[in-house]
Amino acid sequence: MSAPEPIRDNTFKRRLDAGIEQVNSVLLGKPRQVKLAFTCLIARGHLLLEDVPGVGKTTLAHALAATFDLDFQRIQFTSDLLPSDIIGVSVYERDGGTFRFHPGPIFTRLLLADEINRASPKTQSALLEAMAEGQATVDGVTHALPQPFFVVATQNPLDLAGTFPLPDSQLDRFMLRVSLDYPDAAAERALLSGADRRDILAQLQPTLDGAALDMLHTQSLATTVSPALLDYLQALLAATRRHPDIRVGLSPRAGLSLLAASRAWALASGRDYVLPEDIQALFVPAASHRLIPGKGAHREAIARAILAEVAVG
Amino acid sequence: MNFLYALTHKVREAPISAGTFNLVCITMACVVAVHASHLPIWLTLLLGFALLASHWRRRHRPGKTPMWLKLPLTLGLLAGIVVWYGNLFGREPGSAFAVGLLVLKTFECETVRDVRVAVAFACFALMAALLSDQGLVVTVAVALAIVPALMSLRSLEPGQAQRTITQAALPALGLLAAAVPLALLAFLFVPRLSEPLWGAPAADTAKPGLSSSMSPGDLTELLTDDSAAMRVSFDGVAPGPDQRYFRAFVMWNFDGRRWDHGYGRRGEVAGLLPQGPVATYEITLEATHRRTLPALDVPMAAPEGARLSADRELSSNDRIDDVRRYRLSSALGYGLQADLDENTRRLGLQLPPNFDPRARALAQQWRLTFGQNDEGIARAALGLFHDGGFRYTLAPAPLGRDSIDDFLFNTHEGFCEHYASAFTFLMRAAGIPARVVTGYQGGFYNRLGQYLLVRQSNAHAWSEVWLAGRGWVRFDPTGAVRPERIAADGTSAGDGSGPWYQPAWLQAARNRWDIVNRLWAQGVTGFDALRQRSLLQPFGVREAPPSMLVTILASGICLLAAIGLGWALYRRPEGDVAQRALARLKARLERRGLASRASEAPGHYFSRAARFWPSQRKELESLGTLYNHLTYARSEPAPELARRFARMAREFRPPRVVK
Repeated sequence: MSAPEPIRDNTFKRRLDAGIEQVNSVLLGKPRQVKLAFTCLIARGHLLLEDVPGVGKTTLAHALAATFDLDFQRIQFTSDLLPSDIIGVSVYERDGGTFRFHPGPIFTRLLLADEINRASPKTQSALLEAMAEGQATVDGVTHALPQPFFVVATQNPLDLAGTFPLPDSQLDRFMLRVSLDYPDAAAERALLSGADRRDILAQLQPTLDGAALDMLHTQSLATTVSPALLDYLQALLAATRRHPDIRVGLSPRAGLSLLAASRAWALASGRDYVLPEDIQALFVPAASHRLIPGKGAHREAIARAILAEVAVG
Repeated sequence: MNFLYALTHKVREAPISAGTFNLVCITMACVVAVHASHLPIWLTLLLGFALLASHWRRRHRPGKTPMWLKLPLTLGLLAGIVVWYGNLFGREPGSAFAVGLLVLKTFECETVRDVRVAVAFACFALMAALLSDQGLVVTVAVALAIVPALMSLRSLEPGQAQRTITQAALPALGLLAAAVPLALLAFLFVPRLSEPLWGAPAADTAKPGLSSSMSPGDLTELLTDDSAAMRVSFDGVAPGPDQRYFRAFVMWNFDGRRWDHGYGRRGEVAGLLPQGPVATYEITLEATHRRTLPALDVPMAAPEGARLSADRELSSNDRIDDVRRYRLSSALGYGLQADLDENTRRLGLQLPPNFDPRARALAQQWRLTFGQNDEGIARAALGLFHDGGFRYTLAPAPLGRDSIDDFLFNTHEGFCEHYASAFTFLMRAAGIPARVVTGYQGGFYNRLGQYLLVRQSNAHAWSEVWLAGRGWVRFDPTGAVRPERIAADGTSAGDGSGPWYQPAWLQAARNRWDIVNRLWAQGVTGFDALRQRSLLQPFGVREAPPSMLVTILASGICLLAAIGLGWALYRRPEGDVAQRALARLKARLERRGLASRASEAPGHYFSRAARFWPSQRKELESLGTLYNHLTYARSEPAPELARRFARMAREFRPPRVVK
């Protein structure tokens, strides 16, 4: 029998695998989350890491930055952070008699927005507008952000004190929402006995540059999506719209985003076609934060219930 | 097993959605509505209110209903029913209690299991409605009330939480329609019992009817009751309005106020000499809970299962608790009991002493005037009613001790009972044997349906007078007062100005509706054990035994099942070769112990199978790869790959797992 055809150009895939392996060596025992993070960046989406403090959100973001050879900025969000602190300000220059724009940290390719839900809604929305439109406007002048532009944001669960939860509409800006969760026993044991994470981070070598990322993105767009798969994807979307516990189901944009992420995931799995397994792997991280549940319903539980309910055509 | 228990247990305890609860409430409302005709009005209103309260509670105070609320509600219901009906047993209080409990059940409808129990009970309560009324309207209402019940059950299924009522109603209606052939089959061929299976007796007074005694004012209730008493279809031309007298009871005994059957006249059936036309007809009698069968004056012989009394009253051997049909022939012109023996003559002249002296005096005076001319005396009495300022009314003034005197000389108003009673009294006082006969008179001839509809309001009383050489002759004194009451082809006993006036179009509509009711009563309700046995007569089976019916029933069910299966196979979604092969393989592997779910990705399923049967790992993995490849790795269908997969899947033999 004929084996599935291999991906034609293996160079980038090998570099991708090497990058994933490198991040896995820093963040122990979380291969799925690491693969999701890479998938998100390949699909040109923004990533939201959500969990309690101390499980490695920032470590993961730093490891990603170190693995990708991209301009990198980090912003620690606090409650007194102002929009101008991230976008930048126009300063009057005495010599030329004009205002000159001093770009803020947002003008980068990979932005780590740490603890995004500690900032005031005003600041959050400044960042989220930039994420949606790929540009920032200061004093009536629109400045384009460098492309590609990735945001890796971390946030604490909303029930912790001193946070401003992101509104539902703005959660939609993130392609994937990933929870890290506590490491399992073996991983935690290795973590405790190993070297300081900061030292390891400092030793990481970049394996993927912008061009490689572009190439991977192009390859992901070329993966085959069969009619049977589209039927299944559409059935999932439709199921979210008639589920009794969901107030607002997934939008077509959410469906497109889920498909793009699934393509990248298939690529990261070494395939040039998308399987139902890919969609199932991405459905909870890509869909659960976009569902608006009814009273008392839990988003991830509903998303899992829908997965268990919709037949694979 | 533990896993299975946990799984089912969890499903049964799963909470229900708001949509399902709404459907359950609608189902309960339908049950109350179907029962509303026989529930006391206070209970109907209270149950409606309880249903609304239950709905409000679930919306605004979700959670378990506390016991301090449930217990008083249940006890209150119990107490209310016992106080109203006097007890808790029997058909009426029993079904009222069932409906009440059902509505209260909505207060604790939280889980899937609750809904299943409540809906099953609701279906039982719907069936109970047919115990008290099997008319067309109730039957159709019960069938329709099953629709929300089916919708509730369907909404419990995963993935069936439909958004709109219409989307949910269509499959339920479809299910109902699919059940119709089976229902018809069961209706025709499930062997009938001659007696109803359930013994919950209805009260004798459920419906007023003619009774074997009569005192002034007795019939008032009946004369204002427009419900059908019986329907008569004649072979050939129906007799004219003046001949439509249906005798039920002959009354000999008078105590000054009340006429009754007394012990009746014993002895041989009075001889009958037909003179003139004979009418042959079939009567469909509504349930009376008595034995008497009305018959057109005068029945010639008793039908099967009934007998003639000495006075040619027809009575059935058993009580008429259901619609009854019987065929009869009656002589319209007759000489009845030409010879009167001494005992009967004495019975026909019996009068209570010391009552009504003025009437007696009047009769004596007539006797002096007319000598031996008995018929002349009778004519004089009719003349008195016609010219003496008498008035026909259903609401006459009350009568004193000497009721006949009071009526003849003071009040001058009354209806058939008063006239028949006074007339018979006068005849007896004049020395002419006479008796009161009650029954029905008139009726509406429905030309469209070719039958005579006799309503309860056609109840009537008249007299029979024995004249030498002629036998018993019918005299109807009411006709002398109000000829149109007798001659009318009308529908009600009303006196024209009373509350019984109905516009012509309403009467016409009611008569059309009565045809539908008649067809239903004859075709459906009246389909009894007797008719069932003769069901196969067209096929040469004179009397079908129950075993034959059961055989036909079983074959019919098998045939329907085969048709249903064929339909399901025909309508099976058309998948491609590979999908069908995969489905078959999954079914086969499931029998060998590997469960599968529709929502599982095929690749994942095959890797699981590979772990399940490690010895066949290679084959299973390549099956999975091939399937994924042909289904998901290309945008165009790949028929040759699909066929290859189908062949491989067919040839795959999983080893038996020894447990």
